[in-house]
Amino acid sequence: MKFRLIALLLAFSSLIACSEDEPETPVIPNEEELITTLKWQLVSQDEQDTLNFLFRDLDGDGGSAPTVEAMDLKANTSYSARVQLLNEIANPAEDITEEVSAEAEDHQFFYETTIGGLAVTYGDTDLNGNPIGIISTVSTTDTSSGSLSITLLHLPDKFATGVSQGDISQAGGESDISISFNFNVKP
Amino acid sequence: MLNLKKLLFLLIFFSASSLIAQDCKLKVSGTIYDIKTQQSIVDANVYSNDRKQGAISNSQGFFEINNLCAGELHLLISHIGCSPRSVFINLTADTNLVIWLDHSNEVLNEVAVAADQQSQSLAPQKTLTAESVSENAASDLATVLEGLNGVTSIGNGAKISKPVVQGLYGNRLSLVNNGVVHSGQQWGNDHAPEIDPLMAGSLSVLKGSAAIEYMGSSLGSVVLVEPRAMPSDPHVHGAAQYLFESNGRGQVLNARIEQKAKALTWRFASSLKKNGDQKTATYYLRNTGREEANALLQLEKRYAEKWQTKLYYSLNSSKLGLLRGSQIGNLSDLQLALEQAEPFFTEDNFSDRLAAPRQEIQHHLLKVSQLYSLDKNRGFELNYAWQLNSRQEFDLRRGDRNDFPALSLQENNHFLELKYRALIAKKWHWASALQYNLRDNYNVPETGILPLVPDYINREWGAYFRIYKQWQKWAVDFGARADYILQNVAAISISVPREVLRYRNEFFNPKATVALSYQFTERLKVNLNLGYSQRNPAINELYSNGLHQGVSGIEEGDPNLQEEHSFKSSLDLSYQPNKHWNFEALAFIQSINNFIYLQPQDELRLTIRGAFPVFKYEQRNALLSGLELQANFDPVGPLRVDANFSYLRGDNREEEIPLVFMPANRVFGALNYQLPALGAWEKLELQVSNRFVFEQKHLLVSQDFVAPPPSYNLVALKASAERQIANNRWHFFVKVDNLFNVAYRDYLNRQRYFADDLGINISVGLGLKF
Repeated sequence: MKFRLIALLLAFSSLIACSEDEPETPVIPNEEELITTLKWQLVSQDEQDTLNFLFRDLDGDGGSAPTVEAMDLKANTSYSARVQLLNEIANPAEDITEEVSAEAEDHQFFYETTIGGLAVTYGDTDLNGNPIGIISTVSTTDTSSGSLSITLLHLPDKFATGVSQGDISQAGGESDISISFNFNVKP
Repeated sequence: MLNLKKLLFLLIFFSASSLIAQDCKLKVSGTIYDIKTQQSIVDANVYSNDRKQGAISNSQGFFEINNLCAGELHLLISHIGCSPRSVFINLTADTNLVIWLDHSNEVLNEVAVAADQQSQSLAPQKTLTAESVSENAASDLATVLEGLNGVTSIGNGAKISKPVVQGLYGNRLSLVNNGVVHSGQQWGNDHAPEIDPLMAGSLSVLKGSAAIEYMGSSLGSVVLVEPRAMPSDPHVHGAAQYLFESNGRGQVLNARIEQKAKALTWRFASSLKKNGDQKTATYYLRNTGREEANALLQLEKRYAEKWQTKLYYSLNSSKLGLLRGSQIGNLSDLQLALEQAEPFFTEDNFSDRLAAPRQEIQHHLLKVSQLYSLDKNRGFELNYAWQLNSRQEFDLRRGDRNDFPALSLQENNHFLELKYRALIAKKWHWASALQYNLRDNYNVPETGILPLVPDYINREWGAYFRIYKQWQKWAVDFGARADYILQNVAAISISVPREVLRYRNEFFNPKATVALSYQFTERLKVNLNLGYSQRNPAINELYSNGLHQGVSGIEEGDPNLQEEHSFKSSLDLSYQPNKHWNFEALAFIQSINNFIYLQPQDELRLTIRGAFPVFKYEQRNALLSGLELQANFDPVGPLRVDANFSYLRGDNREEEIPLVFMPANRVFGALNYQLPALGAWEKLELQVSNRFVFEQKHLLVSQDFVAPPPSYNLVALKASAERQIANNRWHFFVKVDNLFNVAYRDYLNRQRYFADDLGINISVGLGLKF
């Protein structure tokens, strides 16, 4: 009897002997979906001025603050604007804009501003004839200042009321990009 | 909860006295008692369908069936208010039976034990039997458990929830499936436990000393999911059930087959569940469908008197849809969603399409037990259990990535236990065990997303003992356990460049409980439970880092968290002034020092996807207190009334503010009416019940994105009947939940940010026992 008991205890302890296995080194994921950088380039109609706006946040959800660079626009000027999205954590950097235009029906950029007289009109459309917003025209009137926000929605309802005119309120969807720039419109 | 039509067949004592076995001159007699009142049951029906012979118990509860032939015999014992149970006897001589029945479905359950003894639990314990589970066959585990007073649920949607007992859930509430602590991704409030309630024999909540026998991070209570008792009948028997529910057009098919064959006792069971988009009072909840398949195999063999081997395997496999409109990006998306009367993407028509966001989960549990009884009073039990939990969560993603999970975790869990139980000198019951557990959590590198919880290996070594004794009017139960925990973690940094960070933690958690019970009179009993326990911070509390949809924000762990220390005392009282009334009251107070919770920070983190609220795991001293009241009235006649009430309050004592995610107070009442048999229809029963849930007012406006929803009231109706057709017993029921199609939201359902809870649901069920 006692033998059986001891045998059982021995079997038990040998099974749980303290070998300290470390977890294997985890595979660092290839975060190819990540967007770290937004570049917004405005070229004046006379091609005299090129303005480069930048929003860059390399660590994503992490704690270090993003880099934001904005430029001032000229009054009574029309610019053709273009957005570029990059994943700069990948090496070489990946152009995410291509993914967005390949799925144009599922994406839309929204431009909202507090700057008086500043207007953004869509310059591109998807296969359904709805705007995408990678390309747009920015026009100014009087001098002013304030902020302009750029939102990229993934899977919005592009047919909902006002959405094709750039009204975000009924669009739903998930924000892939949501940033804002502060700048002036100067004489 | 108080569906009160249950008969729990607890014990049968055989005392056979041998006569010269003459053909067809044998006698089966017996006495039938009520387990709760200890009184004999009059007019119980005892019938042998294979012999077409039967009897009815007399005023002493005694019955006698004469002139029986030798051989195998099935007896069906039934009484009004109970569902009948079958007893198998291989009749060789005159046989006398003592049969204990129970009319309520809430019984003080015996704890499963290795040897032939029963260790009792002084802790307040409430049980739901398989019968009441089967009438909620389409619901998930937590929703079924809500039938017990004091149990609520937290989750994301109607069928993705986890149980909350006395304010604790997730890491702080262990779920024990067939004696094994359930291992899964317990940290997420939207991670429902991967246990099919239909596979269980009983579900119960242990709120005290017996909980000390289970390893794990419980701070007091334990939810026990116990399998059915193995069959004692040498013939193949089984049961099948089909249920249809109108809301979500759900269907459930469930079957069980079992036999005590000569070589082996076995059981196989399986269930299939499917539903499409569920509906609130006015609109469909897009993408809230579900597909689930479960299977169970149980084998048991006894070699000689002393050795017994048991095998248990279960598989739970499910695909669960999450409300389409609940996947949001940043804080402004959430604010827009909160302003909508109906969630974004709501469709006008029903659909059973299951797209992203969704979860796909598989859970395997394999348990092998070797039992060895030294003698009648002492026994060993060696248990090994393996669990594999694989969880994939799919979000709506850019590119062709919808088919790649955004979260993919695999958890392997090995558990080993050597238990010893004995009835030692002077009738002390002793229980003790050595336990070891290894949990290996692994992020499958297919997501392309930084994991929210890191890879880790968690080892635990534990030992406990428990002693119990009853003498005269007193009973005492004392238990203590100690666990040593070693965590090895390999995380990926959130800063760039990404690198692997390794951590090693050691924890030591002592626990002790003492319970005292005193029976003042036959009608009044008081229990006092005191317990101290410790819980080490879980991996997600230490190291989670990143965007967590479940909190709509960025969640940050703190690697410097300390252990939680809990001291809980509870007092419960049961009083039966006469045989028509039953009252129960339980009050508890639990102080938890270093209570770990997610504290919203005064920071909105600016990212390229917009601003996100930041939540950080912090520790404060907390205090939980609660009251649970129950009353049952059973006058002579067909009527029965049940009522209960639960109150809970949670406070952060350092800042003197409420704790978040505490269930709201609620009150429940049910009225049962039994009709006389109508031709072949028996056990006709009607029930109307009402649940009122108060608004959670113990919360500050600043503690949530939106104020807690207002109070709501739900009415339900149920009608059931049974009928014998040939050799089979059929059970029919119709149930209507949310009868008045009320639009409401529940505070602990995250879906409330976006949509209402479920509207009217009519279910029709059909069951067969053979």
